[in-house]
Amino acid sequence: MSDKKKETAGSGDTDFRKTWDKAEYTARAAAHESKEKEESKLRYEAKLAGKKYHRRASTPPDAKDTQARSQRLDVGDLVGKTTLVPVGAATGKRGRGAGFYCEACDLTFKDNVQLIEHYNSKQHLVATGETGEVKRASVQEVRERLRWLKRKKLEESRDEVVGLEGRLELAREREVREREEKRARRNEKRRKTPGGVGVKVEDLGDGVIR
Amino acid sequence: KADAKALLDDRGYSGALIRGQNPALLFEKAVRDRVTESYYWKEQCFGLNAATLCDRAAELTFIGGTYGDMGKPTPFLCLAFKLLQLVPEKEVILEYLNFEDDDEMDDGEEENVLRNDIDQTRRGEFKYLRALAAFYIRLAWEPVEIYRTLEPLLGDFRKIKRRTRQGFTLSYMDQFIDDLLTKDRVCATALWKMQSRTLLEDLDLLEPRESPLGDELDEIDRD
Repeated sequence: MSDKKKETAGSGDTDFRKTWDKAEYTARAAAHESKEKEESKLRYEAKLAGKKYHRRASTPPDAKDTQARSQRLDVGDLVGKTTLVPVGAATGKRGRGAGFYCEACDLTFKDNVQLIEHYNSKQHLVATGETGEVKRASVQEVRERLRWLKRKKLEESRDEVVGLEGRLELAREREVREREEKRARRNEKRRKTPGGVGVKVEDLGDGVIR
Repeated sequence: KADAKALLDDRGYSGALIRGQNPALLFEKAVRDRVTESYYWKEQCFGLNAATLCDRAAELTFIGGTYGDMGKPTPFLCLAFKLLQLVPEKEVILEYLNFEDDDEMDDGEEENVLRNDIDQTRRGEFKYLRALAAFYIRLAWEPVEIYRTLEPLLGDFRKIKRRTRQGFTLSYMDQFIDDLLTKDRVCATALWKMQSRTLLEDLDLLEPRESPLGDELDEIDRD
């Protein structure tokens, strides 16, 4: 609420005082009042019908439909790695700590099953801006999908190499590529943090209570 | 409707009914719980619709019910439960059964009956998807339609892998369809009792069965 608009001109000895934009605040008060009136009307109607009124948060207009996961969840990528964590990392769900972390909701889970259940929960769907509804598929879409899957399968069968030599080659190439990617990522991290070491730092804010 | 909470709600289920009851009740409570608590269901079956289910079905490599000591459900069973939740339209299921990659429009089973005589090898890429659709048909549709739709599949003699409680066994697609039509319990589900074919023939709802091997059997009998 720091909408200050300094009055031009006027007496010099009150320049240090905070000034408010009256027009904006009257508009805000009017909006608040109308909302209250609506809500009280809905409450009255609910009481007449004998039901309890629940305040429903409206879904944001750009909420996306929920879709199935396109890739498997990669839960094993931190296995065997050592990281520095702050002191309170082992207890509690909120904030980044030891375990599986969800960025959208700032929660940590000790188990990949808990993580998956959280990803499917209403709390997370709201945080990622998805409605919990799934679009019903039509026959055309199903047909298209099956055709696409068949094409993908044919392409894969064409690409696959039979014979030990060929498969070893492919595995070697894949390893080289992954090592390159990892190196690039490590260099990025080194460049970002000063001092050259990529240490995980927890953002505590500046400690000011607002 | 991304998760199955509405389906499993005991108090008020409002949605498509199968034979006048909640589709989920076609599976027993124990099996339903196993499916809903499995990792496959939570990770892969969330937010599926009839089209994306095909992706999952294309990755299936065996059919089966539950296995192991703990009664772990197979992906096949989880996808079947998802189909029960979705209750797809008839055309979608026929598409699953008889999908061929042609440019002409498929109008379902009639095409397939003709094709079965002509070319036995072109029967849809994804045999486990077909098995899944057949399982759903046996659970959800009316007896006349079940017989009419599943009998052409008895000509499909591809091998399928079946997971039993102890390990894997070899089976065939037509054997699986035959089990669906005759047995009481397939893939950890008690199939609801269906009138026998002879009864339906007596009621004139179905024509007597024309077996593809009928001519050969007649010849043998004559000899």
